Amino acid sequence: MSGPSFRYIRAARLDDALSQGARQGATYLAGGADLLPLWKAGLAAPTEVIDISRLPLSQVSYAGDALAVGALARLSDVSAHPVVKRHHPMIAEAILASASGQVRNLATIGGNLLQRTRCTYFRTDGLACNKRDPGSGCGARRGESRHAALFGGSVGCVATHASDLAVALAALDAEISCRGLTGERRLALQDLYPLPGATTAPDTSLADGEMITAVHIDGAARFAAQSTYLKVRDRASFEFAVVSVAAALRIERGVIAEARLAAGGVAPLPWRLGRSEAALIGRAPTGEAFALAGELAVEGATPLAGNAFKVPLLHNAVIRALQTVGEGS
Amino acid sequence: MNPQTHVRYEAALKVTGQARYEGEVMPPGMLHAALVESPVACGEVLSVDAARAETVPGFATIVTRADSESLRPSGATALIREKAIHFHGQPVALVAASTGSQAREAARAVHVATRVQPAVTHLDQAAGAAFAPAAVGRFPAASRRGDPSRALSEAELIVRNRYTTDVNNHHPMEPHAVVCWWEDHRAVVHTSTQAVFATRASIAHAFDMPAGDIRVLSRFLGGGFGCKGQLWWPWMFWAMLASRKAGRPVRLELSRAQMFTLVGRRQATTQDLSLGFVDGRLTAIEHDVVAQTSTHADFSDSTAVYTRLLYACPNVSTAHKLVRTNEPHPVPMRAPGTAPGTFALESAMDEAAGQLGIDPLELRMRNFAAHDQESGRPWSSNRLLECYRVGAERFGWARRHERAKSKVGRWTVGFGMATTLYPAIRQACKARVRLSLDGSLVVQCGTQDMGSGTYTALGQIAADALGIPMAKVTVELGDTWLPDGPFSGGSQVTASIFPAVEAATSKLRAMLANLAVGDPGAPLGGRRPQEIEFRDEMVRGRSSNVAERLVDLLARGPADGLAAEGECAATDHQALAATGMGYGAIFVEIGVDAELGEIRVRRVCGTFAAGRILNPLLARSQFIGGLIGGIGMALHEQTVTDRATGCILGKSFTDYLIPVHADMPEFDIAMIEEDDPHLPGGVKGIGMLGTAGIQAGIANALHDAIGRRVRHLPIRIEDCLASAY
Repeated sequence: MSGPSFRYIRAARLDDALSQGARQGATYLAGGADLLPLWKAGLAAPTEVIDISRLPLSQVSYAGDALAVGALARLSDVSAHPVVKRHHPMIAEAILASASGQVRNLATIGGNLLQRTRCTYFRTDGLACNKRDPGSGCGARRGESRHAALFGGSVGCVATHASDLAVALAALDAEISCRGLTGERRLALQDLYPLPGATTAPDTSLADGEMITAVHIDGAARFAAQSTYLKVRDRASFEFAVVSVAAALRIERGVIAEARLAAGGVAPLPWRLGRSEAALIGRAPTGEAFALAGELAVEGATPLAGNAFKVPLLHNAVIRALQTVGEGS
Repeated sequence: MNPQTHVRYEAALKVTGQARYEGEVMPPGMLHAALVESPVACGEVLSVDAARAETVPGFATIVTRADSESLRPSGATALIREKAIHFHGQPVALVAASTGSQAREAARAVHVATRVQPAVTHLDQAAGAAFAPAAVGRFPAASRRGDPSRALSEAELIVRNRYTTDVNNHHPMEPHAVVCWWEDHRAVVHTSTQAVFATRASIAHAFDMPAGDIRVLSRFLGGGFGCKGQLWWPWMFWAMLASRKAGRPVRLELSRAQMFTLVGRRQATTQDLSLGFVDGRLTAIEHDVVAQTSTHADFSDSTAVYTRLLYACPNVSTAHKLVRTNEPHPVPMRAPGTAPGTFALESAMDEAAGQLGIDPLELRMRNFAAHDQESGRPWSSNRLLECYRVGAERFGWARRHERAKSKVGRWTVGFGMATTLYPAIRQACKARVRLSLDGSLVVQCGTQDMGSGTYTALGQIAADALGIPMAKVTVELGDTWLPDGPFSGGSQVTASIFPAVEAATSKLRAMLANLAVGDPGAPLGGRRPQEIEFRDEMVRGRSSNVAERLVDLLARGPADGLAAEGECAATDHQALAATGMGYGAIFVEIGVDAELGEIRVRRVCGTFAAGRILNPLLARSQFIGGLIGGIGMALHEQTVTDRATGCILGKSFTDYLIPVHADMPEFDIAMIEEDDPHLPGGVKGIGMLGTAGIQAGIANALHDAIGRRVRHLPIRIEDCLASAY
């Protein structure tokens, strides 16, 4: 089974790739875990495929509590990396909750962050989808909305972001480095993902040809002992999250000094639960505090017909994740 | 013959990739085909413009409705002869090109003009137009005995509820494929089908040609589950027309996405069920089913049929109705009828047990039907009570009363049980056995092996009858050049081939025995043929240790060895003196994390009474496979349709969930042997038994765990979720 034909170019150097990737109709190929299915289904029809998988961007380095992961590092390698397991176990947990062993051997960190939404209207050619076909509308809003967003959606798009890794990274204030023809920039992971508009819903804020080169987590190893990634799904493995929660606490003298909470499966991007975090600070890690965090987590949710259950589910998942994390204290 | 645990005949071929599936046949000069699909769910095709497609490199030919006019009108050709569009994704043309990707590119370049009409995309939309089908399978659509409405009005307890089941798709690993070509006026058709002879007959009718000029082959199948039958034929005909037009072999293989629209589905059901009890005994049952069918044909599962006979009850009425929607046509799928039907009946029995304060197992035993009350006939054999008793013992059902909401980690544990059943049926079958001078045996039958073990069963029956090891047996299946065999479906192949192979081997045994005693100089010369038995590649005298090697005996016979044919007729259900059914009791332990809505099956004990078990190893595998399919139907599988367009959503295994290895519970399978005097060889089918019952077992276990009754399938997170902490 194959899709439309294209020109295949294996990039020899990063600079070559950037100029090739900026051309109209070009797309980068790393692990291909998302691109290949899209191409086979006729949903991606690049004229040029720039294979960047051999570029030297797969290093994992750690110095002075600054973790840097090359964008081409494989999910399986990162989840098994001793530094990641020791200092950022939540990242390893999120990766191991993703996809299957085979897919994790193939998929890259950068590709995982750039995977396109699982919204079935996006994935079905011919149906209304502003993300695939700007201006065509959103079939999911009035249609099958079980997987739709609770937060951050618009009249034009209610798709959710599917990455588990991004949720854990967002909780740890990760940043990404990007390279384009005009140079390098560094931005917060969440700024990679724009909110949808009324008739358009771009996936990322990357410019044409711009490429993620690395992911950075600075000074977050202090959460290693009290963090978790909770993924809720209909079957035990190999399914995207219905709802997920990344939670981390730092407890000082019996009081929560810092809290990090992010949710997956509920928004077009990994959704930081800022109000819940703020409410936890200065409180003892008790059921009462966790219940408050759960309540605040779902404030402002705008459920549709098919996803209303995700409101209590997110509420409960936040509490469960905090209980799991708080148990150590 | 004793039960044998022969390993699968074709196991090595399959795991080493040597088993050649029909879609892998690659004749020289072969073209690849792709289908052009309708973008609307209801309307008419006005025109098909291939101008752009013809410019795609490699384009060879296009087949449309106009080409189908050469085919004879029938149910099998209606979809490709008529203008009407019945469902979203219905093929409107087939394009053939040099490569698969060229064919798909050309198919995308075909412009189809349509006249769109409003589509009915949900059962509820047309519920007012529900109608009774002519029949449900081989059963009447409605039944009535006694006076159920009066009995309900007089009942001490009435349990009245609506149960619904969603659409499922079959999804064998191997998608449908055909590789076909013409040799002058003869057709060679390699295709994945559960019925080579029916496929041949359909081609003979459509193309108005003698069946003898058509060869259909289906030697290995990567599963079928009911979908590799008639719905595939129109698209196969188009591939044959393309081959004739282009003068080259043509290959068409469906994509996984097309498997959701083109080859059938399990219909959605809405079931209204009322049970009436007096003193813990069923006095009334009313079971009314409304199900989806397409706008181009009628199909109804036998959903309420088994409610007529599972329990003792004097007043029973059942009825089936259909609603037409612009959705793909349904066909039988894994435990057709019994899977959705037992979900309703066995859930309702559990609800009744709760309200009566009787153990659900005890309630079932108390209402056991000692004979078939619908027909008045005795059972051919029925050890269901033994299934209940043995299953309960093995599972530890009695501990159900000791546990008060027991928890294992985050999981609240619940126990549930349900009954499963499936009729024992048999089709006409012929088989041929041929013994060569070197003592090797060839067994031939035109049936096919869906992956369920037919190769093994056929070889084993013949090998055991002649005292030859399986290593010396070659089994040939899935070819219309072989003797007529049954279609693979309805759990009846083993029961059908058994008497035919036994008939063939007994003829062969008689020939060999006569040969052994006929030569006065031979070791067994002069004995009576009846005294001869066959063991360890020897012929022996029954009452002495005189023996002769089979090869020595064969050396005295004809130069090309010995051959014999056997056959058996189909079951004549009207003439049967007894009702043949297989039974089982399913016990399930689930864990539910209600705060997160997650449910997982932890343990399943299936105890089955299904006649004589020929090969316990393969039978166990069949039962487990069935149970896994049942778990899928209970917790995962759901074909979702966009109501606005009629388009099926999420046409991949990413969205259509089936159980994965991490979901597998511990399985305990027990088989209760039955000595059935009414069925030839005492063989009942087993394939469907595991697939039914478990759905209700899981729903009942969920209720046991957290007190929540879910009356629809699949049961998902939102059904198990406690609204808040």
